[in-house]
Amino acid sequence: MKVFPDDLLYSREHVWVRVEGDLATIGITDYAQERLGEILSIELPEVETEVERDEAFGVIESAKASIELISPVTGEVISVNEDLTDDIGIINSDPHDTGWMIVVEMKDQNELDDLLDARGYQEFIVNEMEAD
Amino acid sequence: MAVDEALLRLSREGPAAVTLRLYAWARPTVSLGYFQTYDLTVNDEACRRLGVAVVRRPTGGKAVYHDREVTYALVGREDAGFFPPDVLGTYRAVGEGLVRALGLLGLGAEMAPEGRPERGGGRDASCFAVPSAFEILVRGRKVCGSAQVRSRGAFLQHGSLLLSFDARRTGEVLAAPAGRMGAGDLGEAAAGVNDLLPEPVSREEVCEAVRRAFAEVFGVVLEEGGLTREEEAMKEGLLAGKYLTEGWNRQGGGKRL
Repeated sequence: MKVFPDDLLYSREHVWVRVEGDLATIGITDYAQERLGEILSIELPEVETEVERDEAFGVIESAKASIELISPVTGEVISVNEDLTDDIGIINSDPHDTGWMIVVEMKDQNELDDLLDARGYQEFIVNEMEAD
Repeated sequence: MAVDEALLRLSREGPAAVTLRLYAWARPTVSLGYFQTYDLTVNDEACRRLGVAVVRRPTGGKAVYHDREVTYALVGREDAGFFPPDVLGTYRAVGEGLVRALGLLGLGAEMAPEGRPERGGGRDASCFAVPSAFEILVRGRKVCGSAQVRSRGAFLQHGSLLLSFDARRTGEVLAAPAGRMGAGDLGEAAAGVNDLLPEPVSREEVCEAVRRAFAEVFGVVLEEGGLTREEEAMKEGLLAGKYLTEGWNRQGGGKRL
């Protein structure tokens, strides 16, 4: 069973959020990277792009599939993890930390209320696996 | 492509049904994968000379030359219960349907083993150069190449089931990176059902076998239907705003890292 950090929030689209003031750092969860397998390439928005909650902010390519990344929050992208250019493998090896993808300046922090804490996310994926 | 994407986008609304779509192309077309670089994938000059259209897919994977083949598209929600929520699990489930379809046509097919290494470092532009996990082989040759996109709890998997494989033409319309297979090797790597059967079958016979096989494997009754008004409207929007634009077909969606 995977352990999900307590200091993150999680979406049902398997995206995590680290909140610092009105900034949200966003990446995909360890469960998501494992389900996708080896990640081959990624497309992310440019800095100053607006992202919208429940809309795609990027696309990731793993073994023969492209997967849309769904933003849990609305706001402006203020930073993109350029380290992924050199080593995209860190999304697989360190998804909750150095494998982060973008930082968004949030417009409405109330959107965070819909996200799950580590325990809630854990329960969510157990249910998802049982539904298979 | 626009119809396939519209089905995916609208699959979240309405009942949790699975759609199986079988189609052919109005004219020979190269489809390239979402992430493929146009100039490294397509031989533009050859496509123009031969009247071959080019379109970028919403799905990953490599380039396919669509001509003598049946294209299938399967769209479903993860909560429909027929398909597992992961990429390879869906490939495996769809693969069972395709293997059964080929069996109905008289071909003993199998799925490629998981994690089979790509020969030549995976540099080949062509989807049919190498079998990926759970793709469909007959006597070691790939007869169907498939690709997938997933979004918000729904998936689209489409693929090309070959009636006959033209290695020379496939080689001609795709770009040639260093170390790529020649037409001879490519011809050994892939085959169409009519390259393998003693008596050729028609496109409609292949479609019928696919329909029957999916109904049997998933224990369902297929209902024939057309596009809804919403799907039709979204298709038109996607054609004008995406699949008929040079921007999408040449550059793709956005910034690539």
